[in-house]
Amino acid sequence: MTMGMLFRRRELEDPGWYRFLFGSTALVPLWTLARLYVGWQWLQAGWHKVDGDGWINNNGSSLQGFWKNAVAIPEQGRPAITYGWYRDFIQFMLDHDWYTWFAWLIAFGELLVGLALIIGAFTAVAALFGATMNFSFLLAGSASTNPVLMVLAILMILGWKVAGYIGVDRWLLPALGTPWQVGRAFERFRGSGGSG
Amino acid sequence: MNSGLLLLGVLAWVGVVGFSILMATWGEPVLAFFPIAAAVVAAWAIGEYITDVVWKEKNR
Repeated sequence: MTMGMLFRRRELEDPGWYRFLFGSTALVPLWTLARLYVGWQWLQAGWHKVDGDGWINNNGSSLQGFWKNAVAIPEQGRPAITYGWYRDFIQFMLDHDWYTWFAWLIAFGELLVGLALIIGAFTAVAALFGATMNFSFLLAGSASTNPVLMVLAILMILGWKVAGYIGVDRWLLPALGTPWQVGRAFERFRGSGGSG
Repeated sequence: MNSGLLLLGVLAWVGVVGFSILMATWGEPVLAFFPIAAAVVAAWAIGEYITDVVWKEKNR
């Protein structure tokens, strides 16, 4: 067997159940329920931070407190953060007073992710940002609802074609297209780019 | 006329955004989920109607 044969291009098809789960509109009601649940959780969390105390006001003192607790190493028992490199990262942000602006980023980030998921606009992108926040919170030692929200977010990323179907993505995705297919909004520019 | 329909569809979804934020200020997080879900389905139904019925009729 030559190297050319080993690495020749092949199209590997997905099994039927996978295509049904992540690409069929038959399961759209389930995807919508999951999306609304995750979106509502993010919206509530974001709104409480925007409207509450210690995030947008008071220079992010709540986030400062969270970071201080996260980097603390107790005399007995395990520290909240398992990985040393992540503790160093949080400590770096703490030492440079990043909580003053990072609190804004988290508060409005959660709010926007929640709203995007609720209306189903750029669902997979919103889910990716949501999963990134869940991942960060988990690394910092905060479990809460993060594991469930993160799993649902990853599923929504995989089901990007249908997760936002009962939502703005129903019109947004065909209009904008995908990296491998030109959307309706850009069809008029097709072929007018010269040598392309 | 088409731009008016487009505006109507956009306004339906903007309404969902405003309504969701309003519901977030309400102290009943479990109960608030259902009106939000209903608003999403209503906005989607408006969009479907515009797309499948009115839009196609106007562009026929």
